Order: sequence, then C-alpha cells, then structure tokens
Amino acid sequence: MEKLVLFIPFIPILIAFSLGFLKQKILMPKVSLFFSSGVALLALYGTYHVMIHDTEIYGFDGLLVYNELSAILVPYVAILGLVIRKYATKYMWDEPSYKRFFILLNFIFSAIYLLVMSNNLIILTIAWQLMSIALYLLITFNVESKSAIKNGGWTMLTHKLADLFFIVAVVLTYKTFGSFDLTKLSQIWLEMSEKGSIDDPMIYVIGFLFLFAAMMKSAIMPFHLWLPYTSEAPTPVSALMHAGVVNVGGILLNKMAFLLLLTPAVLNVAFVMGLVTAIGATLLMLAVSDVKRYLGYSTVGQMGYMIMEVGLGAFSLAIYHLMVHGIFKATFFLESGSLIRQARKDPNVPRKLTSELFWEEKPQYNSIKMFRLIALFTVVPVIAFVGIKYLLSESGFEFNAAILILAFAWLTGTQLFLSFFEVTKANSLKVLFILMSSFVIVLFTYEALGHALERFLYGDDALLFYEAATLNVSLAMTLLMLAAIMLGGWYFTYKQHYVDLPIGEHQPNKTKWKFYKFLAKEGYISDMYVKYFKIF
Amino acid sequence: MLMQLILLFLFAGVPYYIYFEKTKLLSSEKVFLLSTLLVVLGISLEYIYPQEPSMFFVFVALLTSLFSLYKANKTTNLYKLSYYILFFNAPMLMMFENHEGILYGISLLLTLFGIYFMGKHYERNYGSANYKQVTGLTLVTPYAGLFLTLYLTTLALYPPFPNSLLFLNAILSAELNTLWYFVVIIIFFGNFLIAVKVMARTVFGKPNDNVHYIDLTVKERGIHIVMFALLFIFSIIGLSEVLS
Repeated sequence: MEKLVLFIPFIPILIAFSLGFLKQKILMPKVSLFFSSGVALLALYGTYHVMIHDTEIYGFDGLLVYNELSAILVPYVAILGLVIRKYATKYMWDEPSYKRFFILLNFIFSAIYLLVMSNNLIILTIAWQLMSIALYLLITFNVESKSAIKNGGWTMLTHKLADLFFIVAVVLTYKTFGSFDLTKLSQIWLEMSEKGSIDDPMIYVIGFLFLFAAMMKSAIMPFHLWLPYTSEAPTPVSALMHAGVVNVGGILLNKMAFLLLLTPAVLNVAFVMGLVTAIGATLLMLAVSDVKRYLGYSTVGQMGYMIMEVGLGAFSLAIYHLMVHGIFKATFFLESGSLIRQARKDPNVPRKLTSELFWEEKPQYNSIKMFRLIALFTVVPVIAFVGIKYLLSESGFEFNAAILILAFAWLTGTQLFLSFFEVTKANSLKVLFILMSSFVIVLFTYEALGHALERFLYGDDALLFYEAATLNVSLAMTLLMLAAIMLGGWYFTYKQHYVDLPIGEHQPNKTKWKFYKFLAKEGYISDMYVKYFKIF
Repeated sequence: MLMQLILLFLFAGVPYYIYFEKTKLLSSEKVFLLSTLLVVLGISLEYIYPQEPSMFFVFVALLTSLFSLYKANKTTNLYKLSYYILFFNAPMLMMFENHEGILYGISLLLTLFGIYFMGKHYERNYGSANYKQVTGLTLVTPYAGLFLTLYLTTLALYPPFPNSLLFLNAILSAELNTLWYFVVIIIFFGNFLIAVKVMARTVFGKPNDNVHYIDLTVKERGIHIVMFALLFIFSIIGLSEVLS
C-alpha cells in the first residue's frame, strides 16, 4: 500500500495528458484539482508512514525514495500546488491557452516531485533539467510579450549553465565513486568522513560544481538576475517560482549533505556567498523602484540566508527556512489580486499592517524615552535566550547553529524594529508589545522547530555537519558584528527621524547619490546585458 | 586513418554544404537529405567496422562545427537550420563510443527530420521554409506550435526527450580529457542557444497580421505523431541505456 506513494511524480503527468483530451474548459481545473488533492492525500499518508514506522519507502529498483526529506517536502509542494491550481482556476480563466497553462503547471509539479523523491543521480539530473524547461514554458506563457521571452531566455541560459555544472558533477561523481545511488553514495561519504580528512581534490571539485549548480538555480549572487526579471509571468507562476522552484538549490544541497561533509571549503564558500547575497539583495531591494523586482530581490535575499545556513552546516534549518519563506512569498503573490481589487474601491489601499495598527495615532516626539524602551525590549529577549541556552546546554555554543539562530533572530528582530520605528514615530505600548512578541516568536520558533526538524531529518548525524563547517566564527565575533549592524541601524533611524535638519540648507551628498544610483540601477548589470549580449 | 577520414566526411565533419550553397547545385532541402543519407551511411559503416575515436579528427570536426554554429545562428530557413545543426553535432558523432554515438546520431536525425517536416509545412503554406515572419505559432496554429516546441526542446537537450538522455549516456561512457570538456560544453550550449533562439522567433512572438496562418493537416499531424512516437521509443531506450 505504502508503495503507492512512489507514484506521486507520475500522477501530474497523467493529469497533464488527460487534460489534453478534455474539450470543456470548466472541467480542466476540476480534473486537475481532484487528482492533485489525491496527490496531497497520498503525500500525507506517506509522511504518516515514514514518521510512524521510522522507515523509508523505496521503489522502482531504488530509483525513487520517500524518506524523511520527501516526507517534509512532498506534502508541502502538494498543498502549495493545490492552492496555486485553485487560485489559477479563476485567475487564468480569460487567458488564451487556459489548457496549456494547466498542462505545463502539472509538468513542473511532476518535475519537482521527481527531484525531491529521486534516489539516483540520473533521475535527479532528469528532474533537475525537466523543471527548467517547464519553468521556461511557464515564464514565457504570455507568448506575445517580447520582454517575457527575452527574460525567459536569460533565465534559461542561467539554468542551462546550472545544468552543465550539475551534469559534469554527476559524471565526475560516477567516475570517482562508481555509483549513482544516493543512499549508497551517502553511506560511502559518511564512512569517508569518519576516517578523517580528505585530500582528493576531485571531491572538492564535485562539491563546488554541485554548490554552483545550486546557487544558479536558487538565484544566489552573481547568478541572481533571472529571478527579479521574470515577474512578468502569470501570478500563479510567480508564486510557484518564488515558493517552490527557487528552493531547488537548498533541496539539492540537502541531498548532497554527506558529500559536503568531506568538503569544508565548499561549505565556507557557501556561507560567504550566502552572506553577500543576503546583504546585497536586501540593499538592492530597498533601492529598486519596481515593486515586482522588489519582491524578486526579497526572495534573492532569503535564498542568501538559506545558502548561508547550509554553509554553517545547518542543513535542516535551510529546509525549514525555504518552506516558511515559500509560504510567506506565495501568500504575498496570491494576495496581490485581491489587494488590487480593494485598491480600486479605497484609495488608501494597500496600507501597511503597521499603519492599520496605529492608524489613529498622532506622532509624538517623545522619542528618546521610547528609543531606549525599544532598545531594552529588543536586547532583553536576546540576553534571556542566550542565558537560557547557556544554562540548558553549554555545548549549544560549540556549534555554529546556535550562532546562526541567534544571528538570524537578531537580524530579523532588527528589521522588524526598524520598520516599526519608522512607521509609528509614536510612544505606543502596542509597538513595544508587538516588537517584543514577534522577536521572541521568531527566536523560539527557529530554535524549537529547527531542532525538531534536524532530529527528524538527520538524527545524530546532524552534529557532523556543524563540525564539518569549519568557518571559524566565534560567538564574540558574531555578537560584535550583529551589535554593529543593529547600532548602525539605530543610529541612522535616529538621525533620520529625530535630528532636526535646517530647512533649505540640506545639500545632497554626491557620493551618497552615486551609491544610491548604483543600487537603483542594480549595479548596471542588467543594462550591460541588454547592451552587449544580444543573444535572445 | 583512411577509415577515420571517411567517417569524418560522412559524419558531417567537413562542411561540404558550402560548395552546394555557393554553386546552388542542390537546394537546401536536398542538401539536408544528402547529409542525413551520408550520416546514416557513416553510422552503418561504424556499426560494421567499429572504430576507436581519433582525437585529431574530433578536433577537426569541432573546428568546423563552430562554423556551422555561426551559420545556424544566422539562418532563418528551417531546411538550412536542420543541416547546420547536423554538421554542428559532428564532433559528438565522432568522439563517442560506437554504440552510444550511433544511438545519439539516430535520435538527432529523428529530431532534425521533425524540423524538416515542419519546413515542408512552411513551404507548402507560406511559400518557403523561412520562418522569419511567421511568429506566434502557439496561439494561432497550436498543433504546429506544439510539435515545433517538442522538436526544439529535444534539440535543446532537455529530458525526457531522447537527445538529452543519449547525450548523457554518451558523455558518461567517454573517456574524460580536455577535448571532452570542450566538445561537451560547446555541443551542450550550441544546441540550446540555437533551439531557444528559433523557439523565440517561431512558437513565441506576436502573430503576424499579414500572414494567413494554417495549422497542420490531419495527414501532417499523423506524420508528426509517428515522429513523436519514435522519439518516445528512443527516450525509453535512452533511459534504460543511461540507467544500466
């Protein structure tokens, strides 16, 4: 019975073929939704089976597996797929090629399921490429749009480069280890890591090839441009792209986790690239004027965090992150239609959540007191967290995960703090309460769920990854860096809102202006592409 | 040595189409048919007399294939495109082991015949096999759009189509050396770039108001379904080959 779960990747293909024979338009989403619900139920059953029996389901001569990773990701993708299909039912109704859209949507879901459930490098290679071609056909769904086709072409070029890296990595893996079977390979890699340091440069080459392939499909800098420029795709496709497709890098690196145990340098590079992307994309996000590109850069930044987590050995946390971000971003995209509808009726829409909460309040410049209070409420939970963590387990700080969680929580808290601080300018207890609670929620959710997921996915082996991530970032260094970021943020916000500037004497700073222009133009990279690389 | 030289010629390693294009001795349609015939002859010859791949001849084929890539990038004629791509893939046919090379060669020929039949359709309905002004097939002639998308996707080396699987099978069994990397990278990207470029100008784009679009007839659809069925069979062969 449980073997039925292994048919999940093929069900969307059957749906796609059956849609091809349907004449009535109304039946297409119904058929698609009905069978996709079946996929979701089957996925949930598979997850239940894996959790209860603590076993993995193998099938098709070991080519596919429903293991712990599948048990987490397949239901997530299936439910996401259901929501997207339901949304697309009405959203795409008036579009030409309604049938084509649903067929392509089913193909891309099939590729994602296959990618998650593959236990063989050849199947993984097929799924890895299949997803790209399905994505291309969806991005260029509006076939009349020149820019959609052009940006689709660039997307494909980046993805094709990732495919090449991936294929070469697979060939070298086979030549080095003599197998395509991922379970077998993971066992070999684990045994090798237990024996000690590895001197074979080929293993590092393979590790880097897989890392770069993952980075390209996850839009990590400098391979990020395809994502912010493909928002012209239909909204359900954008939702799928930001919540599902772009996560494949994280999924791949989790599948290759035991290989990366042997290559600490690859993990270190992943951390640095992730960090650069997280900071760079956030800066670009703040500077660009196009709201769709804003969202694109937001996703790029989050992918940076995800790769950074992998670089620190927190593989399971990356999975948690990609899922949480996926749900958040899909909601964002799918909500956009109703927001536009509301905006047609009410000129004050869209309004920020913060504006809604503090709509009636008038600004009061009783700032210094509030500034200190917020500072206190932000720092206290962190100190409490550090104290509790230290009391419970001293070893908590031996691994980078603790630092990472702390860093992530603090950065997120700072971001929240700054956004509230900017909007309200008021002495409101609500601000403090929301700030504090959101901060604590983020902190403890990451801590609790991150560890639970880690135990489920990797068991005791999880600690090995943290040991392999040799980037020597001490707790003191991290705290100093984060404190600098936070204080810097405070300083700029304070200067912006609470220091009176003399009217009429304010001269724009040329350097600042140039820097802003550089960011707003996205480093002139896209201009350069348009001007010098006329491929598509 | 002599056998290698003959194979180089038969496997489209020598761009003899230049002669026919200059002299106009043969039409582009005939050049395509001639070159496929010679490739089939080469495949048969290699099957009967198996040969060790010669790196020197692979290198020669690679140099000439770059020229064919340039030509393929310039043309807007589906017949010409078909034989340019065949000549472009010559190093693949030369470099890989007999069995793998033969399978890839047949699969490539099938794909190119699909494009050739699309060229015939263009010629019959739009006056020539030139696709420059006939854009937006997906919207106005869905069957033609669908089959052309399938052929170009196959050509761009995407699974589950056979070219991609047999390409993977071939590169897995080949011996790794510097030339291997060059050939793999050039063939991998060259096929892709040409296919995507043609796709953007045929199946995508705004339909041209000045063109009277005609979709595939039932007979033409039948031919393309047979082609698709053959490609599907080769996909299964490719998958079993690469997994074994």
